[in-house]
Amino acid sequence: MSSRIRVFSTSVGTKLLIGVTGLALFLFLISHIAGNALIFLGRDTFNTYSHTLTSNPLIPVIEIVLLLIFLVHIYKTVTMYLRNQQARPVAYQAKKSQGSPSRRSVSSLTMIITGLWLLIFVVIHVKGFKYGAYYAVDGADGVRDLHRLVVENFRSPLMVAFYVVSMLIVGSHLWHGVSSGFQSLGLDHPRWTPRILAFGKAFAVLIGGGFILITLYVHLFGGQVGQ
Amino acid sequence: MTLDSKIPAGPIAEKWDRHKFEMKLVNPANKRKFTIIVVGTGLAGASAAASLGELGYNVLSFCIQDSPRRAHSIAAQGGINAAKNYQNDGDSIYRLFYDTVKGGDYRSREANVYRLAQVSVDIIDQCVAQGVPFAREYGGLLDNRSFGGAQVSRTFYARGQTGQQLLLGAYQSLMRQVHEKSVRMFARREMLDLVLIDGNARGIVVRNLVTGEIEKYAADAVCLATGGYGTVYYLSTNAVNSNVTAAWRAHKRGALFANPCFTQIHPTCIPVSGDHQSKLTLMSESLRNDGRVWVPKQKGDRRSPEQIPEEERDYYLERKYPSFGNLVPRDVASRNAKQACDDGRGVGESGLAVYLDFKDAIKRLGPEVIKEKYGNLFHMYQKITDENPYEVPMRIYPAIHYTMGGLWVDYNLMSTIPGLHVLGEANFSDHGANRLGASALMQGLADGYFVIPYTIGHYLASTPLPKVTTDHDAFKQAADNVQQRINTLLSVKGNRGIREIHRELGRIMWDDVGMARTQESLTRALTEIPKLREEFWHSVSVPGSPDNLNQSLEYAGRVADYLEFAELLALDALERRESCGGHFREESQTPDGEALRDDEHYSYVAAWEFQGVGKRPELHKEELVFDEVHPTQRSYK
Amino acid sequence: MRLNLKIWRQAGPNAAGRLVDYVAENVSPDMSFLEMLDVVNESLLRKGEESIAFDSDCREGICGMCSLVVNGVPHGPDRGTTVCQLHMRRFKDGDTITIEPWRARAFPVVKDLVVDRSAFDRIIAAGGYVSINCGGAPDGNAIPIPKDVAEAAMDSAQCIACGACVAACKNASAHLFMSAKISQLALLPQGDAERERRVVAMIEQADAEGFGSCSNEAECEAVCPKEIPISNIAKMTREYVRAVLAAK
Repeated sequence: MSSRIRVFSTSVGTKLLIGVTGLALFLFLISHIAGNALIFLGRDTFNTYSHTLTSNPLIPVIEIVLLLIFLVHIYKTVTMYLRNQQARPVAYQAKKSQGSPSRRSVSSLTMIITGLWLLIFVVIHVKGFKYGAYYAVDGADGVRDLHRLVVENFRSPLMVAFYVVSMLIVGSHLWHGVSSGFQSLGLDHPRWTPRILAFGKAFAVLIGGGFILITLYVHLFGGQVGQ
Repeated sequence: MTLDSKIPAGPIAEKWDRHKFEMKLVNPANKRKFTIIVVGTGLAGASAAASLGELGYNVLSFCIQDSPRRAHSIAAQGGINAAKNYQNDGDSIYRLFYDTVKGGDYRSREANVYRLAQVSVDIIDQCVAQGVPFAREYGGLLDNRSFGGAQVSRTFYARGQTGQQLLLGAYQSLMRQVHEKSVRMFARREMLDLVLIDGNARGIVVRNLVTGEIEKYAADAVCLATGGYGTVYYLSTNAVNSNVTAAWRAHKRGALFANPCFTQIHPTCIPVSGDHQSKLTLMSESLRNDGRVWVPKQKGDRRSPEQIPEEERDYYLERKYPSFGNLVPRDVASRNAKQACDDGRGVGESGLAVYLDFKDAIKRLGPEVIKEKYGNLFHMYQKITDENPYEVPMRIYPAIHYTMGGLWVDYNLMSTIPGLHVLGEANFSDHGANRLGASALMQGLADGYFVIPYTIGHYLASTPLPKVTTDHDAFKQAADNVQQRINTLLSVKGNRGIREIHRELGRIMWDDVGMARTQESLTRALTEIPKLREEFWHSVSVPGSPDNLNQSLEYAGRVADYLEFAELLALDALERRESCGGHFREESQTPDGEALRDDEHYSYVAAWEFQGVGKRPELHKEELVFDEVHPTQRSYK
Repeated sequence: MRLNLKIWRQAGPNAAGRLVDYVAENVSPDMSFLEMLDVVNESLLRKGEESIAFDSDCREGICGMCSLVVNGVPHGPDRGTTVCQLHMRRFKDGDTITIEPWRARAFPVVKDLVVDRSAFDRIIAAGGYVSINCGGAPDGNAIPIPKDVAEAAMDSAQCIACGACVAACKNASAHLFMSAKISQLALLPQGDAERERRVVAMIEQADAEGFGSCSNEAECEAVCPKEIPISNIAKMTREYVRAVLAAK
């Protein structure tokens, strides 16, 4: 066992763990946005979906796994960041990127900042929704009215602004993170890598933009268009 | 002093095998009790240090660069010869031997060359096993090409970076021994003296280039693999830090220096663009397979090449050598380029260049084929000159490339100082007066992998070597001498740059001891060199201190040695009143201007014994005997 | 041309360094970047001032010795070029050029622009070879190697160990350097016997030297004078996974 742990403490092992957990979180985000998008179909659909999901007995287990993945991702990235900082004690007086084929971008340079922002965001987000006010759906015993909670939470412009900014940051984190995750796992191919790079950026826009759309939709229309 | 080449008896094909059997062996358990110093980490040095480490000796390896992997062997492009006969085209050990002796213009030792050809086949096996990515054919077998006018395809290559790949193979083997602690690596150390105790080479004194400390190392035998002396010409294709210092200091301690006038000039280099230039860049001579060499027929024709009509161009190689044309050997191509420029028909801003034109080849084969064959060379040319060789002809000029001369060694690669062995380009032995293309890599690795591991064991087993340490007086004396010289260099405090003086030495050497030498030019050089040396010691400026990294001090020391060595080179050239290989004396040529050997008087190795700076060295001759290959006049008409 | 230079001067490993202003006069566009520095040094020398220390040797882009960060980019603005092959025609009269050494904890400055890259040697010593002794090698044609495999190995083997990858990486990571050697030897049948041992040993050595990890930015690939791609790093990761799975 101890040798297995050492395996993940080398620079390459660290990347592997960050890549695996990062891609897992990416998959989680896809399922998350897919579920949330149901809000466009109205309150009942949304509540039925969320009830089906939360009442699944496997969910607590999945939540714990997700939490672990999240913690490993944070722990590994932060320790790697600190170690990387030590690798260059004296900074350059002038430094610039050589440009293509470098993939360096604002996104790649700010991964640690966007990541830490998202850590704070997640705490606030979970507190506001999972552990937020409990409204019951009228006439359906034991079914939580998450739709109402969403609407209430997004009534405050401040909260909406925080969410919009955070979702831009999610997009930025994914802009570099998705394709980087593949590279970290050693998944590279002359034909596929350019596609993975494009795919990562496309999903960064879709996921960040999608969540912003949901937030604005709920804020502007109270999640009730046409009702 | 009598020079004993120690060539084993018997038929030439059996000499090496017989010798291997007759040599004494060191018991495996005793090997680690012997310390061997190897100076230099090029192909010869790295392969020697690695192999000796593998055998179990305690090896100390030294190099001047920051890493052993940077030695100048890394820059060799073309390839490495081996008599594998993989192409079924009639190659054999005997043919490689024959070609090398003939190519060397009958000034090399037959027995050494035969051994070189014999072990050439093992080198390829060794390098493949190390993971050297040689070029392959679709069937997965090793690819070969014909190189340097050879009539068989025996050259193995790894793109245009064969030297790099072979050196990295040797370097990796060396680092493996470092890891296993049989070799200790000392980088950024410059050997400044050889230490003799009771007449045997027992150690070296080096300067730690980072701390400036003078360090002493004792051993049971010393191997020098410190390369050639091409930078005595200032401009050459050698690395800027290549130098003669280690070999020269050994010479001053008693090792004879052989055939220093045998220098090789490579015809296809990028011409000099100005005074600032620090080195010349070689382009593979394979370019001459498709390029046509020409100059304008008219003197002083300053028109741009495309304005000169076909009938006003002189394709002089094709005109003078109809059967070989542009593919004549290196020395012939170089000399003719010089003649054209001396006639005032040189091209380019300096007038010191000739055209190498690909127009016809591009028309015949299409630009795509040319690009595939020479793309990297064209790219390099364009990067340096800012001209596009697909559109305008390349300009080329000869440059010093390799030095066949070096410290004299016997068949065991031991110099005239017992215990001092000399390997690779630093020794004189295998190439005679002219080296064939793709043979330098072969010789360096042959010496290091397959010769020295045997012969040094014989020396150690058959020589009484009492234990010595660096506390011995001889070490102290040598270290004091080195320190003294450093202090003197720093105390001149003149106003002339080191590079400026080196450039001036280079000009003397190139003009008077270069491609075509005469009694008159050599005599002139022999008066100018001592004057310049005098000037150096009075007016050189070497700022900084001795106790840290001081590149001016390093450079000044090397130039100071060149100022002594240059005189020996010129003297050797003066004394050899014949033309052979890379050594062309204008007094000795055939009616149509070709090199004319004088076998009756000069069929010997000229080995010089140091008598003091500015004093005439003593000449010792090793007569060359040709039992197998009969000397004939080379002809490329 | 006349150029304003800002050059890093540092007396020794533990001394403080700073950028010092110099003027390079009469610079010809045909000069290489290092020849321009030679000229500056020669003028310093004639004034009895200590020359600017910088590493170089072959000056044709193959030895890997030269190592300057020019205006924030290792080896300067041209792609696939070492700084010794960079020519002054790339610059304009009156330009200001900042010249710094490689910067990494594992590459301590020796003096001025010269750094100590022996960490690379130790990474190779940890396993960057095929463990065979001289003498017993089978015939070179005994093991056929497909042409494309040999070519791919050669692509990786081209690395000149200059360290530009480390210099450019925001984490001062040596992953591109190591992965090039690991890929070369993993591709060839000769390197197969030790591939698991090799990849682990080299990675552990690099970590111990104080190089950082990789953030997949490919800045290393962009500055590599031999244009070695980061697909080598992915290959190294696969080799590592393979080694971990094979471990007992």
